[in-house]
Amino acid sequence: MENNLIYSSSPHIKAKRTTRNIMIDVCIALIPATVMGIVYFGAYALLLVALSVLSAVAGEYIYLLIMKKPLREITREFDFSSVVSGMLIGITIGTNYPWYSPIFGSLFAVIVVKMLFGGTGKNVVNPAIAGRVFMFISFQWAVGAWLLPNLGSVYGETVISSATAVVDTSSGIVPKLSVLDMLLGTGMQGCIGETCKLALLAGGIYLAVRKVINLIFPLIYIALEGLTTVAIYGIDFALFLPSILSGGLILGAIFMATDYTTTPNTRLGNIIYFIALGILTAVLRFATNMETVSFAILLMNLTVPLIDKFILNRPFGYKKQIKTKGENK
Amino acid sequence: MKTDFKKIAKDGVISSNPTLKLVLGTCPTLALTTAAMNGIGMGLAVTFVLIFSNVIISLMRKAIPKEVRIPAFILIIATFVTIVRLALDYFLPDIYESLGLYLPLIVVNCIILARAESFASKNGVLASAADGLFMGVGFTTALTLMGTVREILGSGAIFGHKLWDFSIGFFSSSAGAFFTYAVFIALFALITDKCSEKSKHKKANDKIKENA
Repeated sequence: MENNLIYSSSPHIKAKRTTRNIMIDVCIALIPATVMGIVYFGAYALLLVALSVLSAVAGEYIYLLIMKKPLREITREFDFSSVVSGMLIGITIGTNYPWYSPIFGSLFAVIVVKMLFGGTGKNVVNPAIAGRVFMFISFQWAVGAWLLPNLGSVYGETVISSATAVVDTSSGIVPKLSVLDMLLGTGMQGCIGETCKLALLAGGIYLAVRKVINLIFPLIYIALEGLTTVAIYGIDFALFLPSILSGGLILGAIFMATDYTTTPNTRLGNIIYFIALGILTAVLRFATNMETVSFAILLMNLTVPLIDKFILNRPFGYKKQIKTKGENK
Repeated sequence: MKTDFKKIAKDGVISSNPTLKLVLGTCPTLALTTAAMNGIGMGLAVTFVLIFSNVIISLMRKAIPKEVRIPAFILIIATFVTIVRLALDYFLPDIYESLGLYLPLIVVNCIILARAESFASKNGVLASAADGLFMGVGFTTALTLMGTVREILGSGAIFGHKLWDFSIGFFSSSAGAFFTYAVFIALFALITDKCSEKSKHKKANDKIKENA
């Protein structure tokens, strides 16, 4: 009789969501941007993405095999998060990077940033961001000039000059590309997956529909970045759209800043986190005159434990004690 | 009293290696190991100061009152650091340039103060000199090895000779310094643990054989 009772610790209500199917959803959401990147930048882009994904997965397997985990168990528990990291690392570099850089970036991201800290969900910073910054620091000497996409501007305008098309801050003028071009990524230089904003937004909407992410938070980030840029350049609202549509802001906001492990646990904490992220990105862009989304996210990731320490959820059933006038004696 | 030089040597280089086991003197370790030559230069400078300050402190250990021992130690160490600085500036200006600020900072290097406090002020002159020498050797070896690895990976060169055009800039940056340092500490702990386990097994086996 007693044996028929199931003993288990909480939580007792279980959902069908697993880490694996969330990560597969993220992979699906990344596909449009990746495909558009390959269309724009050709077969070399495909090679970079493929190498990056392969080495990320290989890195996880090698690490677990060194840790003496049986091969079958690794495959059964494989949660696709390294595929996501690999895809993100592949599409956040431009086709001007040497072919071996995504291999080093992915291995660093998966083995050092994720597995050494204890695997999925225990990493301190987002592995993909760390991998991108690693490649950015390491292979600066081998990186050539930005390459142009296969498709030219819709309006046939001449190509812009500034790398990754951050608002040309030195002169304070809006780049020559139209907003529509920036949205489609036509005629725009940049990293493989970050130029076609429409594909990224489609991925973001898919994730929101599947309830993987809450679209409010990336929107806070994007809006705050735009508004801060507007404020920095003396309330010039013409800069708002070019600023948010340039560089890797949308890619970073939807796919990288929203990583569960590296965002605060509470709603208020998240709002503070994304507002700070938006302001930091805009200020760093202004100060350094280059694309700083990844550095801003990396820095803010490190503040998450601090935010979680000071902003706590109200315990269930807890009521705030109302002070009455009579008590204040 | 007979001094066990073998134990002092083993302590200094392996079982309490100042850089890899005690994690002392991290500031020059992280900042100067971008090149192997810097590691050797820094290591030798520290070794020199370590030997002589240990000797002097050991000689004066009964004369220095306990209450003011730290200022006294610092004074003695600073004297030798000044000697090293002036000598390097005159004889090896290149190394003097590349070590820069970290040379005068040897005064506050924890390794030297730690050895003065925990060894030289309690032991005889010869033992203290040997301790300074082997601690210095341990420090120099660790710094040179780290410098070699970081130079090969970070700038594709070894002792200033270009090997190839490939390099991973991460290893020349300060983040790479922390990363390399951590990997070195981990590997060193792994190797020494394995060795001590082996020697324990060997001793146990020998005992069994003796008893049998």
